[in-house]
Amino acid sequence: MRKYLRLLAIFYKNTLINELEYRLNFLSNMFLSLFWLTWAALSVRVYFFHADSIQGWTYYQTLIVMGLFFGMNGYRQMILTPNLSRISEYVRMGTLDYMLTKPVDSQFMVSLRNIGVYNWGDPLLGLGLVIFALAHLGVWPSPMQIVLFVVMLVAAAVLLYSLNLILQTTTIWLVNVERVDTLVQGLLETGRFPVNFYGGWVRAALTVIVPVAFMTTFPTQALLGRLNSSTALISVAAAIIFLIIASTFWRFALHSYTGASS
Amino acid sequence: MRKLLRVYTALLKANLSEALEYRAQIFLWLISSIFPLVMMSVWLALLSEAKQIAGWGQADFVSYYVGMILVNHLTGSWLLWDWDDDMRTGGLSTKLLKPIDPFHYHISGQLGWKALLVIFIVPVIVGVAVLSPLVTFPLNFLTSLTFILALIFGFILTTVIACTFAMLGFWSTQVRNVYQLWFGAGQFLSGFIAPLAMFPPAVRSIAYVLPYRGYLGFPLEILTGHLTWPDIEFGLITDIIWITIFFILYRMLWKAGLRRYEAVGA
Repeated sequence: MRKYLRLLAIFYKNTLINELEYRLNFLSNMFLSLFWLTWAALSVRVYFFHADSIQGWTYYQTLIVMGLFFGMNGYRQMILTPNLSRISEYVRMGTLDYMLTKPVDSQFMVSLRNIGVYNWGDPLLGLGLVIFALAHLGVWPSPMQIVLFVVMLVAAAVLLYSLNLILQTTTIWLVNVERVDTLVQGLLETGRFPVNFYGGWVRAALTVIVPVAFMTTFPTQALLGRLNSSTALISVAAAIIFLIIASTFWRFALHSYTGASS
Repeated sequence: MRKLLRVYTALLKANLSEALEYRAQIFLWLISSIFPLVMMSVWLALLSEAKQIAGWGQADFVSYYVGMILVNHLTGSWLLWDWDDDMRTGGLSTKLLKPIDPFHYHISGQLGWKALLVIFIVPVIVGVAVLSPLVTFPLNFLTSLTFILALIFGFILTTVIACTFAMLGFWSTQVRNVYQLWFGAGQFLSGFIAPLAMFPPAVRSIAYVLPYRGYLGFPLEILTGHLTWPDIEFGLITDIIWITIFFILYRMLWKAGLRRYEAVGA
């Protein structure tokens, strides 16, 4: 475990130093993140010109969901895209062979080797928006609700990772599954709003088939004290089960992988 | 003129066949259409509590956002990214050696993709419009023609705007981010975030005279039958004025930038 943490520190430090060399870029990207966050918050406002609440959600409650969407999307761009989306490239270029010879776990290497620094501000700004919205609502969550919120967020992050890994692992056989990432991004877009905003079957699909509801709506409900315990339990269970499936699937895929040179 | 036409035919052919190789992208474009549909469902959620919003009913919103997918694809442009790549990688130098203005390469590149989009996306949208009773595009002969004209104007407008911003690349490395700011701010006033009819009248009047509406809201309002004559005329004239302004700006910046570029290269 300690070895892995030390490795991560080395990997990320290098990337960060590299990025900080281009200070103008760094600041410019940060500013752009802030711009898009304001953009998103204002764009939701338009709906509330015409109603005080939508399906039981007020403007500031909706902003919490929006903040978490930024957080999740930032996490995807920082951790998932720079790593998992490269599996296809690793297979094509033969880098995977090289990775397998390293004395560290291969799943660790393909999942965490890189970090995207381009959107590093997004999760922080998203959290800022959540706090801003809570301040406007004037109700601060209890410590119990905060704990539940964090648990739900971790479950969401694990779930998103696992689904991504499963999708990207298929490239071991189908080398040309390109842009799975864009598909995931498109689906995650629906997480900008509470899942209750969507009608009938779309809402069902976003809960059961593509679990977008788990990413932003459920953690928000936890924070607002609206989440029932069975949903919380399902969330955690789903995260654990999918992580096991993804990990098993990765190992299974490696068994059938024959290398680039043969 | 005839020479230019021959060049365009050749470039278009090359670009179209290149675009055809990336057929998979079409699917991704459809995915990228998710955002309008997400916004549409929020309006529909609102409508489940009220009968009409600012005079718009269910069919109005559905038609608007389905039409948006079409207009967005047809007037959209990633010209700026092409230009920016050219400037960073030095591809511009190679293009400058050739006997025609680099502008034509970029335009024909865009047109090649548009041709492909027309082949793939238009049938889908027309199919949806025919099959779904909620999607109605009340066009007659005259409004169809103005719709097509507004689309062409919209495409030219995004093109000259992108070219103008691309020219800033002669002086700065942050062009993509600057363009994103411009573009993002414009999405409030172009009719992308919400139909302009949903905004307070003051915002709407500002939007009507700015360039943003020309490439989205304006053609879309014609398509969905929300515009009548004097307003259509006003929109077309606004388009022409902005196209002229940006074209002049672009050419001025191009000349100034090129002098600078040659000075650095020499």
